[in-house]
Amino acid sequence: METLNSRVRIVWFAGVLITTAFVGAVLFAVRRFVFDIAVWLPLALAVVIFVLGGIYTVFKYRVWRFEIRDDDLYLERGVFTRVTTVVPFVRVQHVDTQRGPIERLAGLGSVVVYTAGSRGADVTIPGLTPERASDLQRRLRNLAIESEYEDAV
Amino acid sequence: MKLHPLSLPYRLLTRSMSLALTLFFVGTTLASAVESINIVITLALVAVGLLVAGLWEVVYYRRFDYVLTDNSLDIDSGVISRRRREIPLRRIQNVDISRNVVQRVLGIALVGFETAGGGETEASLRFVAYDEARRLQREIQRRKRGATERDEEEEIQPDVLYEIRSPELLLLSAISIEPRVFGLVFFIVPFLTGAAESFGGLSFLFGLAQLLVSALVLWVASAMVTFARYYDFTLLRVDDELRYERGLLQRYDGSIPLDKIQTLTLQENPLMRLTGYATLSVETAGYAPGQGPSGGSEAAIPLATRGRVLRLAHSIESFDDPTFTRPPKRTRRRYIVRYALVVAGLTALAFAVNWFTELFPFWYATLALLVLAPVAGQYQWKHRGYYAGEDHVQTRNGFWRRRIHVVPYYRVQTVIQRETIFQRRWRLGTVFVDTASSVGFGGQEAHAADIDVNDASEFRELVRRRLGGQIRERAARARMEKTESEQFSSE
Repeated sequence: METLNSRVRIVWFAGVLITTAFVGAVLFAVRRFVFDIAVWLPLALAVVIFVLGGIYTVFKYRVWRFEIRDDDLYLERGVFTRVTTVVPFVRVQHVDTQRGPIERLAGLGSVVVYTAGSRGADVTIPGLTPERASDLQRRLRNLAIESEYEDAV
Repeated sequence: MKLHPLSLPYRLLTRSMSLALTLFFVGTTLASAVESINIVITLALVAVGLLVAGLWEVVYYRRFDYVLTDNSLDIDSGVISRRRREIPLRRIQNVDISRNVVQRVLGIALVGFETAGGGETEASLRFVAYDEARRLQREIQRRKRGATERDEEEEIQPDVLYEIRSPELLLLSAISIEPRVFGLVFFIVPFLTGAAESFGGLSFLFGLAQLLVSALVLWVASAMVTFARYYDFTLLRVDDELRYERGLLQRYDGSIPLDKIQTLTLQENPLMRLTGYATLSVETAGYAPGQGPSGGSEAAIPLATRGRVLRLAHSIESFDDPTFTRPPKRTRRRYIVRYALVVAGLTALAFAVNWFTELFPFWYATLALLVLAPVAGQYQWKHRGYYAGEDHVQTRNGFWRRRIHVVPYYRVQTVIQRETIFQRRWRLGTVFVDTASSVGFGGQEAHAADIDVNDASEFRELVRRRLGGQIRERAARARMEKTESEQFSSE
């Protein structure tokens, strides 16, 4: 079983920070323009989101793992709802690598695996170094081609 | 090939009517608001709009061109930006023809081509002659099989699988309404009676009568819609395709390729279970019943006796008779608790309503529903289960509308196991067997709900292994057939 690069926590936590800043800003705007709320309320809420988000990030990282097995890609994730996904290589339609702005700053990338399924049609593996991401993409693509089966749908 | 000549005047009329009405409405609204715009300018606006629309339609008609080649359907279209779309025939899943009353009189039809992945129609022809539409439907199926030779023209005799009988159609119309709708009526009654009581007994009776009449109207209306939808329903099997025809006012002819079938679903609501009837729907990768562009349900068999439905389902996919494994007994407790919580929620709601409006002096009466919680829990538990057969996995779910999904292993796309925070407390998990059918939302897909975590992991791996096995088997068979035919041709 492979775990994600530990820097992915930075990426996730950046998301938490953005949410915190956004909620804080909205509440301050409400305080400024709509009605007077105590100054500590936005601050307290921001702190709560910040702390809970941080804890969530830590747990999320601990749970996240994946493995390339003989015939399929196996993923485990989820803090509250634990999700285990099995994607057989024969079902892989195509594989993308993706790098968002924050991911680029952290020097990370993600691999997105697409299937024709209706539920969870795309499976994302975040927190990979660019080399690992392109290596994984190549490997998954080759495995998908190897196990090619004409009738994908 | 061009569209049918009559499609031009038809489109012109239908399109410009709505356009003219919209423009007229906008114009008159503006006229009442802005002084400088009067009725003359409004009419001029409408005229200009119609002229532009007319020109547009003429250019559209002149520009539109389609051709069916041996391995693709090519469509040239576009008025301002021109587009050429080539759809490989192999990718076409369904070919649907629909005609409303006017189109039937004119002898034209709308043809929709459906491909996998997405609820959107890949391409449509508005409109071609009905015979041409049927020809396209037939030819696409024939060429998909690779039979390009013209002389292979001997028509494959269609095999009638099912024809709806009048009593069945009437029964279907009568019971197809959701029992939940009636449940809603009973839910509303206390509110109304509460309101009516304040006006005295007479208005209470009046209100009740009104309610009954509206329920009746609702029921009759829904029955009529169902009747018109499934009127003269026939299901044919032509070689390796299912074909259906249905409809009173709007007539549909659709095709369902057998080798693209993802899931078979047997559905029964409580009334059907009571009377021994069932519905069978066939889902392909193109779209699922009820999600087609025609909007109506393409259900393979809208209603037949359970035995007949099963026989037909078996003739499409030969699956084993399932012996469903129910979720562990402890889930029953979970369901009972869940229903008890629902009752508690209702009571709280009634209390809150009474607090503000004093309409519900007996707000705690809803607590009587608690008696039903164990029954409901037992019932829900009883109707759940899963079965991993030789070639197919089957799951059963549904409290009101019981659904049995039959999924061939080689159609499985991904297997997903989920344990929510509440399920983890009971060491339970749910395994979703995902296929490429588009009915993947709202918990309607095949899933083994609330089974023991260990069983869930085992089941997940079993489905995965059998999928792998079946694919290897099929690939080997395909290779063997290929070498055989090569040997045959070299001899």
